[in-house]
Amino acid sequence: MLGQTPATEIQLPSTAFEGESNRPAQSYWNESWERLRANRIGMAAGVLILILGAIALAAPLFSQFLTHYQYDRIDLLSTFQTPGHPHLLGTDDLGRDTLTRLIYGGRVTLGIAFLTVALSLTLGTTVGLVTGYYGGWIDDILMRFVDMVLSIPAIFLFILMSILFHPTPITLAMIIASVGWGGVARLVRGEVLSVKQREFMVATKSVGARDVRLIVRHLLPNVLPVLIVAASLGVGQIILIEAALDFLGLGIQPPTASWGNMLTNSESYFFHSVWLVIFPGVTIFVTVLASNLFGNAVRDAFDPRLKTH
Amino acid sequence: MLAKYLVRRLFASVIVVLGVTLITLILMDRTRGTYVPGIDLNPNLRPEDIARLRANLGLDRPFYDWYLTWIWNVLHGDFGRSMIDGSPVISHILDRLPNTLELTGTAIILGVLISVPLGVIGALRRGSKTDHAMTVVSVAGFAVPQFWLGLLLILVFSVTLEQHGLPWLPSSGAASAIGGGDILDRLAHLIMPATVLSFFYLSLWSRFTRSSMLEVLSQDYIRTARAKGMGERRVVYLHGLRNALIPLITLVGLELPGLVSGGLVVEVVFGWPGIGKLAFERALQYDYSTVMGITFFATLLVVAGNLLADVLYAILDPRIRYA
Amino acid sequence: MAESLLEVRDLHTVFATKHGEVKAVDGVSFEINPGETLGIVGESGSGKSVTAMSVMRLQRPGKIVSGKVMFRGRDLTKVSETEMREIRGQEIAMIFQDPMTSLNPVFRTGWQVAEPVRLHHGWDKARAMSVAVSMLGKVGIPSPAARARDYPHQFSGGMRQRAMIAMGLTTTPKVLIADEPTTALDVTIQAQILDLLRHVNRDFGTATILITHNLGVVAGMCERVIVMYAGRVVESGPTVDVFAHPKHPYTWSLLRSIPRLDAERHEPLKPIDGLPPDLIELPPGCAFHPRCQFKVDRCTRDVPALKLVGETQLAACWVTQSGVEL
Repeated sequence: MLGQTPATEIQLPSTAFEGESNRPAQSYWNESWERLRANRIGMAAGVLILILGAIALAAPLFSQFLTHYQYDRIDLLSTFQTPGHPHLLGTDDLGRDTLTRLIYGGRVTLGIAFLTVALSLTLGTTVGLVTGYYGGWIDDILMRFVDMVLSIPAIFLFILMSILFHPTPITLAMIIASVGWGGVARLVRGEVLSVKQREFMVATKSVGARDVRLIVRHLLPNVLPVLIVAASLGVGQIILIEAALDFLGLGIQPPTASWGNMLTNSESYFFHSVWLVIFPGVTIFVTVLASNLFGNAVRDAFDPRLKTH
Repeated sequence: MLAKYLVRRLFASVIVVLGVTLITLILMDRTRGTYVPGIDLNPNLRPEDIARLRANLGLDRPFYDWYLTWIWNVLHGDFGRSMIDGSPVISHILDRLPNTLELTGTAIILGVLISVPLGVIGALRRGSKTDHAMTVVSVAGFAVPQFWLGLLLILVFSVTLEQHGLPWLPSSGAASAIGGGDILDRLAHLIMPATVLSFFYLSLWSRFTRSSMLEVLSQDYIRTARAKGMGERRVVYLHGLRNALIPLITLVGLELPGLVSGGLVVEVVFGWPGIGKLAFERALQYDYSTVMGITFFATLLVVAGNLLADVLYAILDPRIRYA
Repeated sequence: MAESLLEVRDLHTVFATKHGEVKAVDGVSFEINPGETLGIVGESGSGKSVTAMSVMRLQRPGKIVSGKVMFRGRDLTKVSETEMREIRGQEIAMIFQDPMTSLNPVFRTGWQVAEPVRLHHGWDKARAMSVAVSMLGKVGIPSPAARARDYPHQFSGGMRQRAMIAMGLTTTPKVLIADEPTTALDVTIQAQILDLLRHVNRDFGTATILITHNLGVVAGMCERVIVMYAGRVVESGPTVDVFAHPKHPYTWSLLRSIPRLDAERHEPLKPIDGLPPDLIELPPGCAFHPRCQFKVDRCTRDVPALKLVGETQLAACWVTQSGVEL
C-alpha cells in the first residue's frame, strides 16, 4: 500500500551521525499494542473484564458447583441472610442467593453492554463512513437525522421505548443502541473527513480504485483506532445506563437478575440488610471502573496525541 | 451576515424538531389503537364517549391526519392529555419545571465551584500525591452509578443518622410536608440530590480544568508574564486561569440543554418532584401520552438551547459565521 | 576599566531528563557594558536561550548549578525570588521570539504593555496607560491610543513585535534581552524591527543582548558578538573582527556556509559536516572536534579555554591559540 515503505528500506544521507541506532520500524498496530501492554493498570483492568466475562458466561457452572443455588430459587425462610454460610453473600427479600444472582446478573448486564456496543458501532460506522466519504445530499439527510436522534434526551427516549416495547435483553440492547449509534456516526464522519484529505487517499483514487475498495481497505483501517477507543470507553457508560433503567423497573424485570434490578426498591431493605444495597452497587462500580481504566489505556495506546498529562 | 447565519440555523432547528415529532409519533403509533384519555379514572366510559374522545383527538383518522393535528395542538401549547385523567400534560410540566431547574441548576453551579479549584490544584501540584489522589477520585467518579450513590447517601445521612439519634437529612421531596417550606428546610432537602447530581460533573470538569490549566501554563505568554516580574500568583490566577476557563465554559454550556432531563434518576431516588420523576411515574402507569408530551417538551428545550448556544458563539467569534 | 553592567561568569545550567543530565549551559562567561549591543549567536540547542533565561532566573525546570551573574554589584543567582522579581521587567527586560503566542490573547494590548509599570512603579491605571500609549507610538505603531484597546490577534506580526518591544521598555530597563526577535517575522519586517532595536539602543541607552542564529542580523546590529556551541562560548569579540577573521573553526565554518555577496558565482556552499553533539554525552575535549577540519590530537582530549587570540578576540581553540591561521 502506498505510504507504507518500511523505514529500514529508506536510504539515509551519508552525513548521518555514526552510532545512530537502527531500531526496526514497527507498524502502527504493533506499536500501539506495545504501548498498551506497558500500561500495567490498564492491562490489569482489561484482564479483570475478561475474568468477569468468563464468570458470567460460566454462570450455570458457578451456580451448580460454587453456590449450589438457582438464581430464582425462592426461600421465604431465609430472607435477608447476612453473608456467611451457606449463602456466601447473603440473600435478598425473597431468600434468593445474592452471589448466584450477581453472577447471572453479570451475564445479562455484560451481554447487553457488548451487544449494544456491537450494534452501535456497526450502524454508526456505516453511516459515518458513507456520509463522510460521499458528502453531498446523503451527508445532509443522514446527519440531519442523527441530529434529530441526538436532540431527544436519551433517558426520556429510553423510558418511552421501554414502555412501548417489551424490554428483553435483546430489545433493551437495541433501545440503547438506537441512540448510541448517532454519536459513533458523528465521530467516524469526523475522522473520515480528516483522513479523506490526506494524500494517500487522493493517490489511491487516482490509480482508479473503486469507492468500496477505498472505503473498506483504506479509510476503515485509519478510522479503526477511534472506534476501538470509543468501544472501550462506551462499555462502561452503557452498563451504567442499563443498570439505571433496570433499577427504575423499566428494563430487565425480575425474576431475571440484573445488577440494576437487584437494587430496585432497595431503600426498603435498609433496615433488613445493608448488604443488599452494597453488593450489586460495588459490582457495577468495579466493572465500570475496570472498563473505564481499560478504555483510557486503549486510548492512550492507540491515540497518544490525545493524551492529557 | 449574522442574520443569514441565524436564519440558516433556525431553519435547521425547525427541521430537526419536525423530524423528532415524526419519530416520536411513529413510535407512538402502536398505542393509537388503545389510547383513551381518562379511561383509567373512569373505566365505565360508555363506548359512545370513548368514540367521541378518540374522534376529538383524531385518533381514528389516518396517520398524517393525526400527525398534523398533533403539530397543530403543540403550536397552541397543547402537549397532549394524560391517559389517566385527561388533564393537560403541559400544566403538569410547568408545575414541575421549576423544581427540576432548581435541582439541576444547583448541581451545575456546585460542579463548577468545586471543579475549578480542584483542577487548579491538580495542575499546580502535578505529579504530587494530592494530584494522584484527585485523579483516582475523579476516575472513580465516572464509574459510580448515580442511583447507587444516592442510595448510599440516604443510607448514611438519613437512615443511619436517624437511627443514632443525630440530626439527619431528609431523603425525599423538595420540602417537608408539614411545617416546612422555609429556605433552610428546602436546602436540607436539596443538598443530597444536588451533590449526587454534581458528582459526575465534578469528575469530568475537574480533570478538564486541570488539563486545560496545564496546557495554558505551558504557553509562551505565561513565560512573558513571568519575565515581566510579576508574582507567581498573579501569573497563574490572572494570566493563566482566565485562559484556562474558556474551554471549561464551553463544556459547561454543552450541559445546559440537558438541564431538564439530566436529573431524572436522582429525582426518582430522592422523590424530588420534578419533570423526570413525573415522566417516570407516568411511565409506570403506561400513560403514554404524558411521557410523550414530556419527551417532546424536553426535546424542544434541547434544540432551543443548542440554537441559543450557536447564536452566542456566532456573535462572539466572527469566523464561525463565514464557515 | 569601568565595571560592566551585566557579567556572566562560568555559568552552568543543567536539565535533568530520564536519559541523563543535559548540560545546556556549560561554563558560559560574557559581559555587557551600559548602552552596548551584544549578539549571542549559535544554532538551535547551543544554549543561547537557556543562558538568557538563566540570567533572568527563569530557567525552570533547569537548575543553575554553578557560576555567577553579576548585575550592579549583586549576584543574581543568589538573590531572593522577591528581589529577582523586582529586577525582572524593570531593570532587565526580555522579549521573545513569537509575539503571537507571547502575548496573552484575552487581555488588551495596551493593558499588557502597561502592566510592568503598574506593577513595578505602582502607578494608577491612567498614568500607566498613558505611558504605554506613548511608548507604542515611539516604537512606530500608528494611532497608538486606539490600538492600545485592541487585542493581540488584531495586530499584524510586525506590529505585535513592536508592541512587545514597547512592553519591555516602559520601565526604562538597563538591559533588554531579545531572544530571536525577528525569526518569526517576514524578511522585510525583520529589517524594520532591527532598525527599531537600533534606535531604541541609541535613544534610550538600553544595553541590548540580541540572541539569534542568523549571522546577518548580528552583523547589522551588534557591536560585539559571542558565538556559542554545545553550551559553551567558543569565540567572542567585536563583530567586525570576528566576521572578518574568525578565530574559531566553528565560526569560520559558519561564515563559509552562508551565501555571500562577495563570493564567486559558482562556488558551492559548504555546510558543516555532521550533527550537533548530544548534550548529555558531550565528546571529550573540544565539543566541536568531531566536525572540525583543523583538529589536532589535543582537541580530542582537553577542553580548550577562552583565551585572547589576536588583538581583540577571544577563542576557545587549541589550534588558533597556538598561532595557526584559519
